Amino acid sequence: MAIRLRGVMQSPVTPLKDDFSPDLPTFERVLDFHVRSGSPAISWPHHKGESLNLTIAERKRFAEAAVKVVAGRVPVTIHVSALAVEDTMELARHAQAIGADGILAITPYFWNPSLEAIHDYFVRLCTAIDLPVISYNSPSYLAGVEITGELMSRLIERLPNFVGVKEASFNSEKFIELSRAALALRPTFAMLTGVEYLLPSVPLGGVGSYSAAGSICPNLCNSLFDACVAGDWPLARELQYKLSRIWLLFRDQYPSSLKGGMVIMGRPVGPTRAPLPTATPERQAHIRAQLEELGIMDSEPHGW
Amino acid sequence: MADFELGLVHTPVTPFTRAGRVDFDVYGKLIEFHLRNGADALALPMHAGESVSLTEAERHALIEFAIKQVRGRVPVLAHVSDAGTGIAAAYARHAEAAGAAAVVATTPYYWTPPPAMVLEHFARIGAAVTIPFLVHHAPEEMAGTRITAELALKLMERAGNFAGVVDSSLDWQFMVELVDRARRPRPAFQLLPGVEYMVSAGAIGAKGAFSSLAAIAPGPVRRLYDLCGNDRLFEARGVQEEVAALLQILKKAGTAGLKGALRAMGRDCGDVRPPLRAIGEEEFGRLSEVLAALPALRSEPRGW
Repeated sequence: MAIRLRGVMQSPVTPLKDDFSPDLPTFERVLDFHVRSGSPAISWPHHKGESLNLTIAERKRFAEAAVKVVAGRVPVTIHVSALAVEDTMELARHAQAIGADGILAITPYFWNPSLEAIHDYFVRLCTAIDLPVISYNSPSYLAGVEITGELMSRLIERLPNFVGVKEASFNSEKFIELSRAALALRPTFAMLTGVEYLLPSVPLGGVGSYSAAGSICPNLCNSLFDACVAGDWPLARELQYKLSRIWLLFRDQYPSSLKGGMVIMGRPVGPTRAPLPTATPERQAHIRAQLEELGIMDSEPHGW
Repeated sequence: MADFELGLVHTPVTPFTRAGRVDFDVYGKLIEFHLRNGADALALPMHAGESVSLTEAERHALIEFAIKQVRGRVPVLAHVSDAGTGIAAAYARHAEAAGAAAVVATTPYYWTPPPAMVLEHFARIGAAVTIPFLVHHAPEEMAGTRITAELALKLMERAGNFAGVVDSSLDWQFMVELVDRARRPRPAFQLLPGVEYMVSAGAIGAKGAFSSLAAIAPGPVRRLYDLCGNDRLFEARGVQEEVAALLQILKKAGTAGLKGALRAMGRDCGDVRPPLRAIGEEEFGRLSEVLAALPALRSEPRGW
């Protein structure tokens, strides 16, 4: 059940044609770009990949493409969270059938489930498949629903394939609560953050993150991770501050802003599905000005 | 103000007699305990010192007493928060006249004013004094009213003595943005963690720290602070986890828990004032047992 989760792992956006239909050929280019620019793993579709705006059939088609195009160069995990838990189960079984290396799943949406319900949900998911499962904790987006340290301990004790967490609270207390509980029981457990907040998490046992900005500035992402692991804190601070500015630029209207930024970087991926807006030309011009000011146009790859 | 460096700031509780009066005899002993056990400065009466449950006369007397007791050995910071802007500004003026080295204030109690009025609140407190002025960001305690980096930058323009933010939000996104954006307009600006989660804050670039836990575990708190201050962040993880475990134990009962723990450590400072509820004897017994079994407290001082 080993899967190597380390470094800044990329979660591709989902390219769409102008009529908002799936653009699989461009998706293949995005995947290839991430692998070539040093991503140690691929995970799709995070919320950044508009997961909840895709049908289950579309998600399966893209997942199949991801596994096929990456072709074992790095591990591929599939994000299976859906509004209906039955769909999540179906996507998890599908991920296993197509040869994915693992799955990722957030605490259930909308219903404000109790801790017992979250426990039962992960038990059901983890015992339905033979793949490593990464949990996803995002209390600020899910009305405070979260995995506690105690729940984390119970899940690790019970489930051998419960191997990591995408911890997206961005909060010192919550990160330590989970890392203390998890690493005491399973030293190989992967403590990952949601966005590239590596500077505050690596000293506490964090081994990496998923990525918001990797389709814009993969070099900066990888340099920050290297600086943190080397304990070069003065350098890591400068890189984290820079990446924070980029995150604040894209956090506004995420992920349509990110798709707008990809146009600037010569990697257009089409519009964003409603109810999310699509980045207007004015918005793109603003993003271009900001990226130029940050020196990103000179230090990061342009085009595919 | 460029050389205004606070270091590790202890935030003492306020001792009460059985009759519920401020116990100045014990307060004197408590201040001496903090000074002997690693305090670079004192801030009082913070929420750990039940500031909100003290009358105006008591708050004045407490600050005057502490400054006299300390006799210039370390800086004494006065906590001047209140609901009304004018009242808080008056506390600040009193503190400066009494010889406080700096003042610290939260967002207003009870009200949730719009950002422009939060700015006004702080600007007027800052303008009331010539000594440095810190803002305490504690959204969870303060009905969700948040300080943003944007607001802090505007406050810099209004208040030349605005020296830093004491952060209890523990929010990485906020802390990184604040440190990054504040350093150009005000290079000496300080971020100080307001709770003893110092590793992430230190990684981000915090200087100094506020600690109420130092009343219970002054040794681990000091070690944690020194390791973080010297950028030995990986080494700091162990003691950070010990301190986090202690914080979790005490968190449930809040200030009453802190006072219960003080009693268990042989430094009885009396009970909390209403409307807080003191922990009962049964709960005290359980807490004492838990603390007695904690390795982190094994070599910590008992008694005064």
